[in-house]
Amino acid sequence: MTETSGRWARLAAWFDTRLGLTYPLLREAPRYSINPFYWLGALTVVAFLIQGVTGIMMMLYYVPSPADAFGSTQYIFQSVYYGRFLQTVHLYTAYAMIMLAFMHMMRGYFVSVYKKPREMMWVVGMVMGFVTLGFGFTGYLLPWTVVSKSATDVGIGIIDALPGTISSFLSFLIVGAGGDATELLRFYDLHVVVLPAVLLVLLTVKMYMLEAHGVAEPTTGPPIEQKASRSLPIFPDVTIYLLGLAAMFGSAMLLISAIFPLSLPPMYSPQLAAQFTAQPDWYFLWIYQILKISAFEGSGLPVALGLVTLILVALLALPFIDRGSSRRIAERPIFVTVGLIFIAELFVLAYWGLESPGQVIATDDAAMILGAVALIVGTSSFALYTVFGQRGAPSPDSREKVSKMQGKFATALAFVLLLSGGAMAIGASLNAIVRVVLYGTSASSLDQLGLSIGFLSVVAFSTVFLMYRMELAGASLKRRFDWLEIGWSANDSN
Amino acid sequence: MIPIRRVVTLLLVLQLVSTVYLWTVNGIGTASEARFAVFLAVNLLSFSTVTYVYTHEKWEEAVSRGWILAAALGLALLLLFSLYFS
Repeated sequence: MTETSGRWARLAAWFDTRLGLTYPLLREAPRYSINPFYWLGALTVVAFLIQGVTGIMMMLYYVPSPADAFGSTQYIFQSVYYGRFLQTVHLYTAYAMIMLAFMHMMRGYFVSVYKKPREMMWVVGMVMGFVTLGFGFTGYLLPWTVVSKSATDVGIGIIDALPGTISSFLSFLIVGAGGDATELLRFYDLHVVVLPAVLLVLLTVKMYMLEAHGVAEPTTGPPIEQKASRSLPIFPDVTIYLLGLAAMFGSAMLLISAIFPLSLPPMYSPQLAAQFTAQPDWYFLWIYQILKISAFEGSGLPVALGLVTLILVALLALPFIDRGSSRRIAERPIFVTVGLIFIAELFVLAYWGLESPGQVIATDDAAMILGAVALIVGTSSFALYTVFGQRGAPSPDSREKVSKMQGKFATALAFVLLLSGGAMAIGASLNAIVRVVLYGTSASSLDQLGLSIGFLSVVAFSTVFLMYRMELAGASLKRRFDWLEIGWSANDSN
Repeated sequence: MIPIRRVVTLLLVLQLVSTVYLWTVNGIGTASEARFAVFLAVNLLSFSTVTYVYTHEKWEEAVSRGWILAAALGLALLLLFSLYFS
């Protein structure tokens, strides 16, 4: 046994000395970075690699011309060994790549990895995110189905609404002047040559900066100096850990592909497209839903595009907007709350877009729903900050602290429920008032008004009661009311 | 105490068997492609579990019994699930 182990060790050493596998080319990774949240970017790269392998296999059969694109895709589906499997995996890993890139970005946002000295890493990462969306946009057209072509036409229609010079330049770049044939060829070239090359260059730049700056320190728990400063070599330790993580991700993708195999929609034709409600893929639905708001229809479209551009530019320039020195979530209530509202609005817009294909959204409906979402998430976040305090919860190292933590959780939960109820009650009351003003009084509108105002009053009173009891516990009240102190004893404040 | 060497040996055998099986699957048709995908997933999941055991042993950290059981259960379910496509 020992002799066998010795032989293996000698073989490993032989390869190591010849190939330089354990030569410390890359810096060691700190032990705290052995956590999947630190490797979301790496998993995005894994998804990109799977995209590359499956994409190259499909390139062997695919023909990028309007006459043959659908036929060659159908051939891959029906006649090539594992053809449907390849296409399914290619699509789902593309979705996973977009989702992982988004999660990587939002994690970076919440733990503010973009602060000095990593500002440019954030900017490069954001550009990589835009390139990833470009992959989705250009790849979607290639099967030349009625779904993919119609959705792409929606996107190209949006480009046409941009200011003159930008619109002309982008149209020339991605569509060309030769009709469908040029458009498909340009999309194919962008998808298989230009965007992969750009992404690889950006990835190299980002990896170089990561090597220079190292992994960002965690923002929770004790200061980093107090943690054990243990680090692990990139090879074999971190490499094997990452391979294991990639294998987990790969097995999840394979399972999803097995359970939900793709089916190919019909081939694109203008006649069929006329009967079909065009809709972009899910990752662009939030933009599409903003553009469908009636205030942005027609001449208002550039305003909506300006708004979307502003959001994207703000994300890109985030390191230069958030100039605070603290990276701790507990000390950044405004940015954390804005981030939570951003995520909630994205999901609501995307889901709403999915449920209302082709429908124009009334401006007051949009204001009501998006406003209510912002109000609920914003007030819930501030309530949590108020209850836990901006320094964050103490670590529970005794039974008393655990009990206090449970009390704080219960109070926070009550606050969130009350504020959510309050936001809904405000929305319902406003809706009832608008109905009364626009359509006059009726039994149902007055019922709704009465019920919503009643509900709002209950929520308001409960909030006052809760806040009074919190102040009572802190013994900081200047004036006291007996009727708000039912069941209270002096011991409760300890 | 988990018999780590036995667990890893079993996982490696499972990987070997699933790899051999993968070569026998007919690559045309939705059901056989799905079976291929499930067995490849089994292969990757068992590899992932081996890396978990390897890294934690090397870092002299406790190998979680819960994780090993969850992985074993997941692998068993996947193998059962593959019958659905036969």
